Amino acid sequence: MKKLTLSMLVIIVLVAVGAWYSTRIPSTPLADVNSSELNASELIAKGEYVARASDCVACHTLPDSPAFSGGLEMATPIGSIYSTNITPDKTHGIGHYTLADFERVVRQGVAPDGHRLYPAMPFPSYAKLSDDDVKALYAYFMHGVQPSDKPNKQSEIPWPLNMRWPLAFWSGLFTDSGSYQSNTEQDEQWNRGAYLVQGAGHCGSCHTPRGLAMQEKALDESSPQFLAGALLDGWYAPSLRNDVNTGIGRWSEEDVYQFLKNGRNQHAVVYGSMTDAYNNSTQFMSDEDLYAMAHYLKSLPGDPLRDGEPWQHKPTTVTASMAAQDAAAKTYLARCSSCHGTDGMGRGQYIPPLAGATSMLAKEDASAINVTLNGSGRIVSHGVPDAYRMPPFRQQLSDKEIAEVLSFIRTTWGNHGGAVKVQDVTELREKTDPASSQVIILQMR
Amino acid sequence: MELWNDMKLQINQQTYDVDVAEDTPLLWVIRDNLGLTGTKYGCGLAQCGACSVLVDGEVVRSCVMPAVSAVGKQITTIEAIEQDDVGKRVVQAWVNHQVPQCGYCQSGQVMAATALLKATPNPSRDEITAAISNLCRCGTYNAIDAAIDELAKPVGGNA
Amino acid sequence: MKPLTEHELAELAQETPINVSRRNFLLSSAGVAAGALVLSVGIPLRQARAAAATKMAPGTRVPAFLQITPDNRIILQSPFVEGGQGIFTAMAQIVGEELDAEPARFIVENAPTGADYQVMVGGPGRMTGGSMSVRTSYQTMRKLGALARQLMLQAAANQWQVPLSELITEPGIVLHKTSNRTLSYGELASKALDLPVPDPDSVSLKDPQAFRWIGKGIDRVDVYEKSVGKANYTIDLKVDGMLHAAVQHAPRLGLVAGDILNLKQVQAMPGVHSVHKVTGAVAVVAPHWWDAKRAAEALQVDWQAATSQRQGVRSMPADFSSEAFSEMLANRTEAGKDAETAGDISKVFSAATPESIISATYQTQYVHHAQLEPPSTIAQFHDDGRLEIWLPNQAPDMFLRDIAKRAGIAEDQIILHSPILGGFFGRHFLYPDANPYPQAIELAKATGKPIKLIWSREEEFLRDPLRPMAAVRMKAAIENGVPTALEVISACEGPGEAISGHDPDNVDGMAVEGLTGKSYQIANVRIAQDYVENPTMLAYWRSVGNSMNDFVYECFFDEMADKAGADPYELRKALLKDNPRLSHLLETVVKSAGGWKRGPFTAADGSKRARGIAMASPFGSHTATIAEVSIEQGQVKVHEIWEAIDPGTIVNPAIIEAQVKSAVALGLSQVLLEEVIYQQGEPLARNYDMYPILPPHMMPKVHVSIVESGEKMGGIGEPGLPPVPPAVVNAVSHLLGRRIRRMPLSRETFA
Repeated sequence: MKKLTLSMLVIIVLVAVGAWYSTRIPSTPLADVNSSELNASELIAKGEYVARASDCVACHTLPDSPAFSGGLEMATPIGSIYSTNITPDKTHGIGHYTLADFERVVRQGVAPDGHRLYPAMPFPSYAKLSDDDVKALYAYFMHGVQPSDKPNKQSEIPWPLNMRWPLAFWSGLFTDSGSYQSNTEQDEQWNRGAYLVQGAGHCGSCHTPRGLAMQEKALDESSPQFLAGALLDGWYAPSLRNDVNTGIGRWSEEDVYQFLKNGRNQHAVVYGSMTDAYNNSTQFMSDEDLYAMAHYLKSLPGDPLRDGEPWQHKPTTVTASMAAQDAAAKTYLARCSSCHGTDGMGRGQYIPPLAGATSMLAKEDASAINVTLNGSGRIVSHGVPDAYRMPPFRQQLSDKEIAEVLSFIRTTWGNHGGAVKVQDVTELREKTDPASSQVIILQMR
Repeated sequence: MELWNDMKLQINQQTYDVDVAEDTPLLWVIRDNLGLTGTKYGCGLAQCGACSVLVDGEVVRSCVMPAVSAVGKQITTIEAIEQDDVGKRVVQAWVNHQVPQCGYCQSGQVMAATALLKATPNPSRDEITAAISNLCRCGTYNAIDAAIDELAKPVGGNA
Repeated sequence: MKPLTEHELAELAQETPINVSRRNFLLSSAGVAAGALVLSVGIPLRQARAAAATKMAPGTRVPAFLQITPDNRIILQSPFVEGGQGIFTAMAQIVGEELDAEPARFIVENAPTGADYQVMVGGPGRMTGGSMSVRTSYQTMRKLGALARQLMLQAAANQWQVPLSELITEPGIVLHKTSNRTLSYGELASKALDLPVPDPDSVSLKDPQAFRWIGKGIDRVDVYEKSVGKANYTIDLKVDGMLHAAVQHAPRLGLVAGDILNLKQVQAMPGVHSVHKVTGAVAVVAPHWWDAKRAAEALQVDWQAATSQRQGVRSMPADFSSEAFSEMLANRTEAGKDAETAGDISKVFSAATPESIISATYQTQYVHHAQLEPPSTIAQFHDDGRLEIWLPNQAPDMFLRDIAKRAGIAEDQIILHSPILGGFFGRHFLYPDANPYPQAIELAKATGKPIKLIWSREEEFLRDPLRPMAAVRMKAAIENGVPTALEVISACEGPGEAISGHDPDNVDGMAVEGLTGKSYQIANVRIAQDYVENPTMLAYWRSVGNSMNDFVYECFFDEMADKAGADPYELRKALLKDNPRLSHLLETVVKSAGGWKRGPFTAADGSKRARGIAMASPFGSHTATIAEVSIEQGQVKVHEIWEAIDPGTIVNPAIIEAQVKSAVALGLSQVLLEEVIYQQGEPLARNYDMYPILPPHMMPKVHVSIVESGEKMGGIGEPGLPPVPPAVVNAVSHLLGRRIRRMPLSRETFA
């Protein structure tokens, strides 16, 4: 009996501590700043830039809705959640937030009422934002954005899964506290790049592999897992490290810059989820910042063991005779060669090569399958929609044909990504939708 | 987009200077800047093949070829098809078999057939099927097959 | 304007008709002009001369139709537009037969607007559609040729001062046998065409037994030009000083452009001339179309709900789903309005045992025209206020009236050109907000420049009006091995009522054609329409209502046969036994397929196959089709098609064969692949990527048998289509052992 009482007491204490921990409002270093003074136009402009770099608009703005009024559906296995209204509307938005409230939400994932945000909000990355950038971001959202009274949509996750308090423990375990600290061994450009990649850019959200609890396995360069490539939402976000095959090992810093600035370079064109990141975020960043990101990324070593034998180009031209004997080559000739060339070399920087393409070298074939099934969304570069888009082939090619042609591409021209299974195509077909052929511009004002 | 060039293109044995954004599709340079309207716009997405031209002898859907990618290459459009021996035979077969209906896709069909027969003078049926994927909304496919089959027969071969 | 060449000036001086595309043809053939520059020269002189003259019956004023050059080329103005169906050749054949001139000497063009060309007897004056061209104008056009021949004879008689009765013609010449003198039509034409046209009743037509060209599969007049890229469609034409335009349509009809958020940025884009708001869209004008197109796509527009609705334009609801709409149609229970009845179905149904009754609901889909030439228009205002316009169309005078109304100018101040069509299939009729010309006119007005507006494929698929969908409830009683009662209720909106307005007191014949008018002997029948208005814009599509309804009827026919324990071919034969024409047609197709075998059977390549059969009687002709299919990789493969057609009387069997094959291809495309899907008020497909049409590797070998029964002439362009989908689906259903009741077959993966 005593034993029981004692263990009950222990449980009660643990629950109480747990409850305190998981519902407490954490402290903030910005508690003493007077929020109302943060309204200078320069600060607002700076905040807008930080918002661009952080790609807030991608999740918080819907096409044909007021800027930042939320409502984007994010499907999870246990039900959909919706991004929120982050306009300065006092009732439906964040107009009543103080800077301290704002800081806690952005960097710590805790709302003013103490509820924990789902990590769909990349606060583990935003935690790295500097105090100055948080202040600027706050100034922008309070004064640079029009209030919208669009109500928030409730999440569709049912009880008890909708309880948020366990997320506190998740945060405690998987989030580094404190903003980015300069690495004194590296130069200023490297540090700026590291700050942007790890923080606002939240590149790791897609490109860093995740653990069992869906946490990013690393949040900075101290781990070789950082930006080592990851599978997320039916796309394989490739390594951003110096991996020759699956990363940016063959890219120069200038190539990286071109990619982030123009959405394309001689090696690749943005597609999949990167289209959103490019359309809404990276192209708006300064050349200085983009070069800094390129510089930092190129400093991350590759892993030859993981990456495999470096790609060696084996030129081949797909001909009618070849296609007459091989169903995959036939599909390639009829469906792929017009754009990517009978030699798989693409068309300069406008249509990417398939010879040596990351998606055709990585053993993860999700991106290759996904882009073939669904095509790519429109790239809008500096206000101008792309001249060439990848069409969806889901209506024209069977799962078997897609598996065959991708297997062909992934084993031709020196590519060694390997065969694609029909079953994998079938599964992705069911889970995904075709990309829109329409130009979609998300408004920030 | 800001990349405007004084671009030199070799089309039908002539050199043309054009001022276009370098990512302008070859199709629109051919049709619009140069007025060679035999090459047709149907989809702009490499789906239909109405815009087929030859680039260094290979059939290319010009709606998805950035003009800059064609620089330094020999481009042949339908306007010059009869200056080519194979092309001339293809046109003759098209007339013999009365292939065209509305005709809109036929420039592209003739270009595709010519490219195939230049690369493979006696293509098998499988090779023909593999090489000719141009769409025809009028459904002239049987006639196209008949015309190419006639051309595919070895000269003096068995009937 | 470009200075005229000597030849052109000479033409003008001679007061011969100026023919724009003819000149272009000559220039480009001679390698003079690159591209397709057309010269706008004001009202064609022929028209002016015709207008000044006394009123004559349509199709009789010879000079309005014919011009013969000194080198004996015969230029014929066709009242019907060529769009692949071979009408220019048929016109040359028919006129040439009576004129006694070789059809190969003809250059045929689409006639200008005007009363002279309203030649359709018992038809709507002038339009190209309904497979009506030859059958409504056959006698008139023959008479025209005969009148022209008479003029040639008269001119020769005048020149030689001999009695007309001593003269005869041979192809292209008038011959005076006694003096062994000849004059070519080219030599006679300038005088002959100025002579008064004789009374049409005074000339007689040839005995069909003596036909030299009619009834023969002569070569088409336009094949060479089309094989070498020299045929010019609207999209290929240009006029001096012209600018190009592209549009971005409102994502849904019923929205209008509010603010353009990045107007300044787009105005500053390289190559952009100007940005405009036009009907239903925003537009960019530029010296080059590609620049206009990219800039139009770049426009960020705040689309707002329109406060008023344009006549005939339906506002698309933001949540419209075609799938949900189809389900709603399928779940309706309304009895509908009678379209055709025989006997008393309710008596039969109430007396029948439940076991003897079968019922099924079939669903058909929206489809696109998907003609390969995207729509375009060139509009040019002349300094004197006249409007000259080039546009693809199937009914010039109807378009003329509409343009006059829109532009606010008199019809005689408009010169309308109707170039050949890069496919049409019903696309180029007057549909509200579905044609580019209103926007082109607005832009030409706004810029003061000639404008060529091209709709990109994406903008076309957003505005292409659709072939209607339907859900059809079928119910039959089968007694003693035959259907004794059949009830058919189609929940749908017909294209006729969608375009011209719904008449609550009547059924739209086009909604139910293919369900009605069947020749099978079934004693008790009720065919009805349950009208349901669509939120989409609807259109005619090759073979119109028959394109979907014969699928429904003929597939259910096989269900009735299965229920009766009868072979579907035998049951058709039995129910047609008193109709020799259709019995013969049915036998013909079966014979051409080497006899009837339904299967399933194993083919030489080891595949398991089955055959299906179906019939249709659209547009005054009759067709019967057999399809052979297998399942390959989960999808239907059609190996062979046999189709027999009886159009009564024929003009060109080669063209009939080509048209049947063409109709088979479109029928297959529909049944295998095509469906326009709307989600959230917008079409899912904006190009052929998501709206595949029949590719070459899916085209089977098609065997066509033509039966010339000698009956009244029927249509050719469309009748080949309707029996194709049911023949295929009947084969598939039999092969699978379960009924498929919905198109397209690509909706399903078959084991």
